Amino acid sequence: MLGAMRHFILACLLSLPGIAHAGTVSIEVRGVDGKPLAGAVVQVESARASAPRIGGPYSVAQKDIAFQPRVTIVPAGASVSFPNRDRVRHHVYSFSPAKKFELKLYGHQESHSVTFDRPGVIALGCNIHDSMTGFIIVTGTPFAAQTSAAGRVVFDDVPAGAVTLKVWHPSIRARANILAQAATVGPQGLSTTLALRK
Amino acid sequence: MTGVRRQPALPRWRFTRLRTALAVRYASLFAIAMIAVAIVAQTMIWSHARNSVRAAMTTSGQVYDRLWSLKARALSDSAGVLARDFGFRAAVASADRPTIESALTSLRQRAGVPLAFVVENDGSVIGSGPSSLRRIVGDIALDMPSSQHDAVIAQGAQPWRLVVTPIMAPVQIGSVIFALPLDRQQMQALEGYSAIPLTATVLIRDEGGRWRDPASGTRIPESVMRREPVAIEMPGGRAFALARPLPGPGGAPQTALMLSYPLSAALASYRGLQVGIAIAGILGLLLVIYGSRRIAAQITRPIVALDAAAHALEKGARTEVEVVGGDEIGRLADSFNRMSAGIVEREDRIRHLAFHDTLTGLPNRTFFREQLDLAMLRAARGGQKASVLCLDLDGFKGVNDTLGHPVGDSLLRRVGELLAEQATDGVVSRLGGDEFAIILVGDDPERPRMLAQAIIDRMKAPMLADGHQVATGTSIGIAIGPADGEDADMLLKNADLALYRAKQDGRGVFRFFEPALDAAARRRRQIEMDLRDALANGHFRLVFQPIYDLKNERVGCFESLLRWEHPERGLISPVEFIPVAEETGLIIGIGEWVVHEACRQAVAWPDHIRIAVNVSPIQFRNTGFASIVFQALARSGLAPERLEIEITESVFLEGEGPTLALLHRLRELGVRIALDDFGTGYSSLSYLRSFPFDKIKVDKSFVDAIAQDGSAQAIVKAIVDLAGALHMETTAEGVEQEDQLAILRGQGCSSIQGYLFSKPLAAEQTLEIIGRLARRAA
Repeated sequence: MLGAMRHFILACLLSLPGIAHAGTVSIEVRGVDGKPLAGAVVQVESARASAPRIGGPYSVAQKDIAFQPRVTIVPAGASVSFPNRDRVRHHVYSFSPAKKFELKLYGHQESHSVTFDRPGVIALGCNIHDSMTGFIIVTGTPFAAQTSAAGRVVFDDVPAGAVTLKVWHPSIRARANILAQAATVGPQGLSTTLALRK
Repeated sequence: MTGVRRQPALPRWRFTRLRTALAVRYASLFAIAMIAVAIVAQTMIWSHARNSVRAAMTTSGQVYDRLWSLKARALSDSAGVLARDFGFRAAVASADRPTIESALTSLRQRAGVPLAFVVENDGSVIGSGPSSLRRIVGDIALDMPSSQHDAVIAQGAQPWRLVVTPIMAPVQIGSVIFALPLDRQQMQALEGYSAIPLTATVLIRDEGGRWRDPASGTRIPESVMRREPVAIEMPGGRAFALARPLPGPGGAPQTALMLSYPLSAALASYRGLQVGIAIAGILGLLLVIYGSRRIAAQITRPIVALDAAAHALEKGARTEVEVVGGDEIGRLADSFNRMSAGIVEREDRIRHLAFHDTLTGLPNRTFFREQLDLAMLRAARGGQKASVLCLDLDGFKGVNDTLGHPVGDSLLRRVGELLAEQATDGVVSRLGGDEFAIILVGDDPERPRMLAQAIIDRMKAPMLADGHQVATGTSIGIAIGPADGEDADMLLKNADLALYRAKQDGRGVFRFFEPALDAAARRRRQIEMDLRDALANGHFRLVFQPIYDLKNERVGCFESLLRWEHPERGLISPVEFIPVAEETGLIIGIGEWVVHEACRQAVAWPDHIRIAVNVSPIQFRNTGFASIVFQALARSGLAPERLEIEITESVFLEGEGPTLALLHRLRELGVRIALDDFGTGYSSLSYLRSFPFDKIKVDKSFVDAIAQDGSAQAIVKAIVDLAGALHMETTAEGVEQEDQLAILRGQGCSSIQGYLFSKPLAAEQTLEIIGRLARRAA
């Protein structure tokens, strides 16, 4: 219930003088405490955007009883390797609906790859080490990035028109820790602040 | 003992007995002390009980807290095992309900909890339980802060303890929730840990924010939430209670755990002490009441005795109280005894004074009357006779006048002693003056007579009084009841009449009362009344008997004689009424009338005729007599030398000095004085020496015998010669025969009086006899 109450507030919606069909989208995310929220993943989904290009290689290592990096953004269809750089063995799993998998007890320098073909948030855990958490954000849009320390993210050449803004952060208490917000990118692009509310 | 009454300043208990007052006051004081002790004891017991309960409760509260968190951890651990189970997490992540439910069932059994649920992140609840509880559980899982794992909620009247454990995979995908009913069984498990039999209850906060005991619905005051135990009203009675709120979801407590301990149980261990204090108090009170009554009785016994004695004294009884000890009360008793003795003594003295004569010490008239009443009663009861002897000293007045009162008093004392000696079997009283009376009671009819004779005989001898030999005598009147008087007054009066008769009969004798005496007395009283009437209405008249002057052969004088013409009884003899008039003093008024009337008549006669008036000694005693004579002379215009006052020797009996003075005053007026009835009585020649009478009247007794008796002739001759020598005239009275006249004339008698010339005549006949006798002479 509390989660349902949380929503974005479009604090400011300014249309920049856009060039013909695309613009820059600048978004600032503020946490519940009102301070800029670093490490949140912002996605801008647009129907007119092309599918993201699959690069690589993508890797989430297990080092020092932690996933590194903790948050990884990959395009749908990307394959991600899970190399174990620790001396101990890990049992990496995901119960996330977007991709359920289990890499049973593998040791040092062992690596397994998993292909994530559907967009979504995959929560990574280790069945041996409860403290290990990691996230893979599988996106279907080329406009996906983590907010800077100032809580800011900027996308260039976002096609004008209706878009869906999605923000993910582990502290967001909603399904898959994602909140979505519809917006319009004008000719001048979009500059907005998304404040998380309790 | 009236007059001074203590005015109570305050309305307070008035005790009629000092003993009760002391007992009540001591008992009250002791009761107050005991109440104070009881209050202090009760306060201390209360305080001690509360401290004990507080310590037990505080300890128990800490134990409970530990138990509570231990339980929470144990449950959390149980739930955590499941929540971290990979397969379970997989089941939850994939919403595999049958698997989850089966896992919950096995968890319930393993952890020993009645209800277990899994709540998913979207709020859906898996696990069986009451639907209202499921709703609450669903909300709680989402609302509870991640830091809180334990909460107590109220589902209606049923409190539930909920332990929430998150399911992490690795982010939270739901919660495992254990629900434990906080029922009686749970509470009893808690209670078992306490040192004292505390009662644990979970209170529920109702809609109005008030705390209630769900089992009974009793409202519990907010005060139990303090840190200290407080006493509150519980369904089972007063109890100490201490409560602490149990954590609710989101912080606001919905329930509280209350520990309570019945006051009766807390105080039960002190019951013995309380009963002991109560018993000690009651025993002490009884002891104090008993003791104070004993002490008060000891203190008040002499006071009660004094009180009773004072009452008795008030009623006139002679009382003494026992003097015990030398303390105040002892001294008071001593003083009381002395006071009582003093009062009795004074009372006796007063009574003696009231009933006795101070001079002789004999009973007085009042006492005599009482004694006579008693004696008559006693006599009547015993068929005896009560006699009264009335005594009167003969010539006592003369003793007083001539020898003085001290001698008189001494004589009376002596007589009193003498009577007491003689009448040992009677009551001797002094009725007043020289009057004595004796009461005799007995069967012997001769006793009164013998006593009277003995007294008379004894008193014939002179008695020594104050150094003087006094010759006196006594007359006695005797009355014997009941024949001579039904009551005391009558008897005394009749004895008095008898005495009167005795004195009349020549003194030195005794007389018994006779009914005739009473008749005579009544007659005298009648005469007295009639005399007053006669004086007022002019029933008196004078008659005149001529006295023939032998030298000038004519009537030289008339002797006025009083006549009383009674309207009913006719003429009454002076012999009968003059003594009554003298006794009653009426003689003064009558005599005055006589003088006036005589003078008035005499004026009508020739200047050489005098008028002679008889004067009684009673009149002569009256100092106003000279002025009566003067007024009579002045009013009638009669020359003083024509008035002749005839007196008898008896005027000198009352004292020679005053009589002579009066005679000289009359003589100065010019009135003539004649000595009447000369030759009878004492006929003391010293009187002739002491006053120069104008005339001596020779008594009729000599004249009667003069013709036959030579000695009578000689006496008359001596008297006439004596008078002639003293330059006094002589008148012979009662001359009835010519030979008597011849002898008297031959002896040189100045004048004669008698039936030979004329009987006494009415006034209107006087002038005629003057003429007739003048012619006879011629």
